[in-house]
Amino acid sequence: MPEHPLREPASASMPQTTIYASPRSVGAPEQLPPAVATRELARLFGGHPALAGVTLTIPAGRCVQLVGPNGAGKTTLLRILATAIRPSFGSAAVDGLDVSAHPDLVRSRTAYLSHETGLYDDLTATENLSFAATMLGLERDDTRERVPDVLDEVGLAEVAALRVRGFSAGMRRRLALGRVLLARPSLVLLDEPFAALDEAGIQLMEDLLDRWRRSGVTALVASHATEHIAGRADASVQLEGGVVVGVEGDGVIARPPAHQPQPRRAIEVAP
Amino acid sequence: MSVLRRNVSVALAIARKDAIAEVRGKQAAVSTLTFAALVLLLFGFALGPDPRRLADAAPGLLWLGLVFAGLLAVGRFHEVETEDGALEQLTLYPVDRRSIYAGKAAIGALAMLVLGALLVPLMAILFAVDVVHALPVLALTVVLGAIGFAAVGTFYAGVTVRMRAREVMLPLLVLPIVAPLLLAAVKATSAALTGDPFGELPAWLELLAGFDVVMLIAGAGTYGFLVEE
Repeated sequence: MPEHPLREPASASMPQTTIYASPRSVGAPEQLPPAVATRELARLFGGHPALAGVTLTIPAGRCVQLVGPNGAGKTTLLRILATAIRPSFGSAAVDGLDVSAHPDLVRSRTAYLSHETGLYDDLTATENLSFAATMLGLERDDTRERVPDVLDEVGLAEVAALRVRGFSAGMRRRLALGRVLLARPSLVLLDEPFAALDEAGIQLMEDLLDRWRRSGVTALVASHATEHIAGRADASVQLEGGVVVGVEGDGVIARPPAHQPQPRRAIEVAP
Repeated sequence: MSVLRRNVSVALAIARKDAIAEVRGKQAAVSTLTFAALVLLLFGFALGPDPRRLADAAPGLLWLGLVFAGLLAVGRFHEVETEDGALEQLTLYPVDRRSIYAGKAAIGALAMLVLGALLVPLMAILFAVDVVHALPVLALTVVLGAIGFAAVGTFYAGVTVRMRAREVMLPLLVLPIVAPLLLAAVKATSAALTGDPFGELPAWLELLAGFDVVMLIAGAGTYGFLVEE
């Protein structure tokens, strides 16, 4: 029987006993809980497994790229970690906090940039970010100070007073990115972050990935744009058919699923 | 920031955001108002010129207009969340779900109050009803009715927000539940306009207040489960 590509020596494949490397930030405490730890994580949609037993451990402070074909389960994994959806089976934890048991604590540590921007068309760019700041718990003075800074950072200062309805897809993406910056998370979940961005937007995204990497923020990036992440990612995780089929790089540990869930079969009716 | 202050701040931010969107999306607000006015106008014509008949029907028609237009409003305050994944983003903020419900219910009640402020004078004109002497009680009735309706409407807008046929489902779910509220509101309005000859006004107002409390508690306690996938 051929060896599974993820099969590793027992000591390396036991996430709970691994001593994790400290993040890059100076003075960060050693042996932090992993930024992401999933165990046999599965999610079914209408009986079909989008994730089928993912056991994955990502130490804090790493930039990890999720790769795989469409339907591999990248978005589903990100959405579970962001607490947008619940796991069907298994468990997932962010900074040691279970996403099902402590969703609010997980939400206060994560920022998720999804395919959809989650913006309000009839509000201006400033109003959208100010609303997000209130929802994130920023004080009024802090909001007043940071919103213009963030808008400037994402290159939308000149259109700050305009309604989002008239924004292009790239501008909307930048504004959604601004919301991520307001959050100051410890785990950033990015789903195709380079989509719809122009050259300046791509440069901005690359700079942000570098900045997060330097400051010890963990970034989990699902993207096909390998050329923009290649030099920045510490590791890449290959997903296919809802399972991890390969890991490259340093620090990330994955295990193959203990059981391979099968899609629900249609009931056959005798003629 | 204390928990209470944070929850109030979140609720106000949601209500303010929805109010801005509603004011800027003028077409929807104008069509809701026009619809409510048309309900009063058409029923007024259908009932004929008999002043006594018009005065008797006025409380019922006022609340019919308020409820129909209110349904459109509470539905729309959730519909803005369906644009470009806004609802999912709203649920990903680290906030108490009860404060989201409170914000949505507050803007729903406010919309009903604005509608009430416009429809009551319209009712007075169309149905030749003297509302001036009953204004304080009438205002209290509209406030209590608006809160109760917004409490139920917001809850069911949360139930239907992810449905494709939400515009159809919302009235089907809300109207049976608000039947006691409608009954109490119509009776209280009628009693207020006629000078409460049988002394029944306090009982109807108590029923309205009780309905509001029960529905607000039930809605706030369960809304979080509805909006999360």
